[in-house]
Amino acid sequence: MNCPLQREETQDLLLDYSAGRLDAARAAMLEQHTENCAACSTFLADQAAVWSTLDVWEPMPASMDFNRRLWQRIDAAATAPWYRTLVDSLRFGGWKPVFPLAVAILVIAGGFLMDHPGGVPAVSPPTAQGVSFSEADQLEQTLDDIQLLRQLDSVAPSSDTTKPM
Amino acid sequence: MVQGVNTITGAAQALDLDAQLMLRVRDGDDDSFRLLLEKHRSPVIRFVYRMVQDQAISEELAQEVFLRVYRSRATYEPTARFTTWLFRIATHLALNWLRDGRNERGHQRLDDEGDGDMPVREVADRKPSVEQRMVYQTRLQEVRDAIALLPEKQRAAVLMHKYEEMEYVQIAQVLECSESAVKSLLFRAYETLRARLAHMASGAVR
Repeated sequence: MNCPLQREETQDLLLDYSAGRLDAARAAMLEQHTENCAACSTFLADQAAVWSTLDVWEPMPASMDFNRRLWQRIDAAATAPWYRTLVDSLRFGGWKPVFPLAVAILVIAGGFLMDHPGGVPAVSPPTAQGVSFSEADQLEQTLDDIQLLRQLDSVAPSSDTTKPM
Repeated sequence: MVQGVNTITGAAQALDLDAQLMLRVRDGDDDSFRLLLEKHRSPVIRFVYRMVQDQAISEELAQEVFLRVYRSRATYEPTARFTTWLFRIATHLALNWLRDGRNERGHQRLDDEGDGDMPVREVADRKPSVEQRMVYQTRLQEVRDAIALLPEKQRAAVLMHKYEEMEYVQIAQVLECSESAVKSLLFRAYETLRARLAHMASGAVR
């Protein structure tokens, strides 16, 4: 028999032996091996010691009214509204998936808004007295045109004098 | 095709008694649920108690386990052993409770307040002396602390292996990992426990 400690796949043989769950044939083989293997022999002795040390922990029995309280909860759950059931299920750690879900929703919503900027009303650039920049340019152009026309009007009589009678 | 049908029939015949009871619960038989509760109440409370190390919380969580089993009765399908399903719920709830940090609320262990923890078999002959009780309490506390310091999955694996005597394959199904991963978890966990409890071990060996 190869040393069980040397290979990870066979280490459970040692645990099973300590737990008394190894069949007779394999137990005999292991015992024969440990006679010549100090490492396995030490391992089994230490494991057996820990195994019996753990026996010291015996939990207390359940409360006498455990069943009665459980049936009360079952009856209450049967008549409870759906949101009450949801809250109860979230009490014992069921709320944890809510956080990644909330983050996922926020990311999706953010992506949607970035892809659809038209969905958000665009803020117009600030204007002076409610007149846009393009309107101001147009007004300035119009004033220039009027001034040019006046200049033309003032020049026109002098040119008439040059006409032949 | 015929082989497939035979496999399904074989699986159905191999249903454990608990799964058959649960199927009756699915059909509306509350008495079968009472039987399941009687049979598995103590193992579930024991396991959860050793996980969270708080008597009151362990009972609350164990109640939640059975409440969830009852609520899920309508959709129950015996795809695995009933106890595998039961302990998966119990492990899930216990780990969530531990991860939520609710165990940091002052460690008010109700069972610590009493002094009646000593097993009956040790007091069969006569009432234990004060010294015996103190030694026992010290040993118990060291064992509890050693297990509490294990990583969560290792702790769950050890408790199922040592105290509930579950097989590797079933522990693997409960923890939703491979059988070899469970063996590895157990090997490392016992290695840690051997180191932590070495000083107690000499007195424990028969």
